[in-house]
Amino acid sequence: MRVNGELKSKMKAGWAKLSGNSLTAITLILVGMLIIVSIGSEYFFTLFNLQSLVRDLAFIAMIAIGMSLLLLIGELDLSVGNIATLCGVMGGLMMVEGNVNPYLAFVLALLLGIGLGALNGLVISKLKLNAMVATIGMSGVYGGVVLAVTKGRAIPNIPEEIHFLGKGNIAYIPVPFIITLILLACALFFVKKTRTGRYVYAIGNSKETSALLGINIDRIRILLYSIVGFISAMAGMLYVARLGSAQSSIGGNWAMNAIASSVIGGVSLTGGIGSPLGALIGAAVICVIQNAIVLFGVNMYVQSAVSGVVTVLAISFSSISEMMKQRNERAAEFEKQKKMRNDKKEEEKEE
Amino acid sequence: MKVLEAKGLTKIFPGVVALDRIDISFEQGRIHCIVGENGAGKSTLIKCLTGVYKADEGEIYISGRLAKEDGGLFSKVVFVPQEIDLFQHLSVAENLFIPFEQTNINGLIHQRKLEEIAVATIQEFGIHARPGQMVRELSVADQQLLQIARATMRKGYEVMILDEPTSSLTTEDANRVFRVVQRQKEAGIAVVYISHKLNEIFRIGDDITVFRNGQKIDTALVKQVDENWIIQKMIGKHLSGEQRFYSDSVTDEELLRVEHLYGSGFRDISFTLKKGEILGFSGLIGAGRSELMRAIYGSDRIYSGEIYYKNKQVYQNSAAKSVASGLVYLPEDRKRTGILPLMSVKGNISILSIKNMIVNGMVSQKQEDAKAKEFAKLYDVRTPGLDKKIQTLSGGNQQKAIIARSMLAEPQVIILDEPTKGIDVGAKYEIYRLMKTLAENGLGVIFVSSELDEILRCCNRIIVMHEEQIVDEFSKDPNKESIMNAMIGYPAQAN
Repeated sequence: MRVNGELKSKMKAGWAKLSGNSLTAITLILVGMLIIVSIGSEYFFTLFNLQSLVRDLAFIAMIAIGMSLLLLIGELDLSVGNIATLCGVMGGLMMVEGNVNPYLAFVLALLLGIGLGALNGLVISKLKLNAMVATIGMSGVYGGVVLAVTKGRAIPNIPEEIHFLGKGNIAYIPVPFIITLILLACALFFVKKTRTGRYVYAIGNSKETSALLGINIDRIRILLYSIVGFISAMAGMLYVARLGSAQSSIGGNWAMNAIASSVIGGVSLTGGIGSPLGALIGAAVICVIQNAIVLFGVNMYVQSAVSGVVTVLAISFSSISEMMKQRNERAAEFEKQKKMRNDKKEEEKEE
Repeated sequence: MKVLEAKGLTKIFPGVVALDRIDISFEQGRIHCIVGENGAGKSTLIKCLTGVYKADEGEIYISGRLAKEDGGLFSKVVFVPQEIDLFQHLSVAENLFIPFEQTNINGLIHQRKLEEIAVATIQEFGIHARPGQMVRELSVADQQLLQIARATMRKGYEVMILDEPTSSLTTEDANRVFRVVQRQKEAGIAVVYISHKLNEIFRIGDDITVFRNGQKIDTALVKQVDENWIIQKMIGKHLSGEQRFYSDSVTDEELLRVEHLYGSGFRDISFTLKKGEILGFSGLIGAGRSELMRAIYGSDRIYSGEIYYKNKQVYQNSAAKSVASGLVYLPEDRKRTGILPLMSVKGNISILSIKNMIVNGMVSQKQEDAKAKEFAKLYDVRTPGLDKKIQTLSGGNQQKAIIARSMLAEPQVIILDEPTKGIDVGAKYEIYRLMKTLAENGLGVIFVSSELDEILRCCNRIIVMHEEQIVDEFSKDPNKESIMNAMIGYPAQAN
């Protein structure tokens, strides 16, 4: 019996911890949405639909995981889409026209991504630029290089050896999603378990304080942008593998989707709050919305507007639930304090 | 005549009764001072009196009428906040008249016309500025005066509440504020004056009310009370005003020696710090003390000169190196550059030493918990839990958490820059006691403060800086007057 009681109290504590977490709210929304969609459409829980949903999710979530790391230090990278495109195109060119071994080309493209990310970090650190403005500028540069190299044409005939990286499944799970989960595990380990991860949160709290504590902000910033560059290149290459052709338009709105995902998942835009796991769940919310709109047969021309409205609703849900939580806490506190005061008064009277 | 009155005012926040059945009234043409430690309920009182908070119980009467029946009555109460709250990138004139609805400026806004009508007010308040000048170009004192002037632009106001208006001003600039406040009183305004500085209260106050723990302790005429009365009422127990916190174990062992140091904000600085001593750095705001300390710590650049740490020359150029070698610095602006506001108390304590808590390449949660718990206890950080965000703690407890953070890095020299700024009297004494313990445990303590009183109370040796240079040095318990002379640039040695 006693053991049972202990278990119960442990579970209670665990639940309190869980429900105090903003992640819980958004996870509940996700589950609710899954239920609604599966009731509303018989096609939702088919293998084909789920696989294509998860495959789409993999790309948004991957970038969102990287973006959440930057948001944690209060910065962002709007050039992720064009880094993905540039790396995808260069990787494709190497394979198709340079006759480089496809796997080697893949790795070289990833290295290019790291380099471009590091360049972003360097530009922001050394020229002391605002991250948003700097990455808009750099995005223009990368996009320009893509156009100059490809003249706008696609590079078809990507070697079939690497197609499975984009199109394939392992045990029914799309390969890009497996890679996303690996990236997520690494990112979580990084922010939760390493010294540098701790410094990431500190920088997001206050850059001034962190500098005074002797934390090398520039070094960590360059590291983070390099990681984001790496992830962008990965997403770009996987997308090329998925399409079987390298196109100059693949990374179009990835940056915005990644930021929206992170915010839905509870990552603060000003830094210091949130985790990459939230970014993944946020991305899932966005993908399920987009999938549902297609399944429910919403008119093609209003799909974008509907998906925007639902996304805003999803974001506001967590902030509304936070407000209600605070109001309830306040009311409870008032009663508690009032009772304590009255008890005290009675005690005094008795004395 | 009572223009503002509260009866049975009660306000409750999570975990604390911020105001407990307060009865207080303010009369026309009198300056009513309110004192109390931080957290005593002063700010909550102001927010209730200005209509920002709705009280949970009790009533507020403005000009004899019940405020809750007519919310417009709160416009008769104007408030001047402690921290400058002006539009830095707008002109003096624009700042004066915004919001335009309340200052009779209707229709389109003509910059030139605004500036013309602003001239009279600017002169009246003795603000050293042109009406078209950007506020960010003004000195802190002028900005403070402008804040007061702005408050008076409200039509038909009868009560003015000032929250520590002189907290970041020099004595001379404070005088300018006093003159303005005095004139409000003469004009028949009821002035509510909140201050930590007791000498100001004796200088301008008519009435005084002391708050403690959300309760009104006492109200009296300023004429009839003395400093000890106020302090006793504020902290509730008798604390000797003469208590001293010198270190009793000063050694001859030299920890830090600085020779002819030049940098931005200080010139030709030479001094030594001994093991086990508390070395005070006194001076006016802007004398260059913080700049010097930051340079020694390695976060600001040094132009020339030498620093010897334990008799070995060091070429400090990074804060990280200083921490590693055993020299830590606690900055002046605790809120902005001291705490990591959104992180837990635990995270704040461990951040500086996290590299020593790595096991198998991972931060060991167990070690972090244990160390944070141990040091929070050692330095008396009072918190509902180590997982609470540090920003929810009081200023004094935040400061103690930062001291715990620094001590966890096992330093030999600790530099505290204005560690008691903005914290209440009781917590100040706790900080003094901590510094004494640190020094007696063999640290070298550098204590930078603009409050002469606490420098005199704590320091084994006192260095006085004036206009970027060291002008004088005193051993413990010196003549107060000669230090004050040195602070304003007339050292005894020169006479």
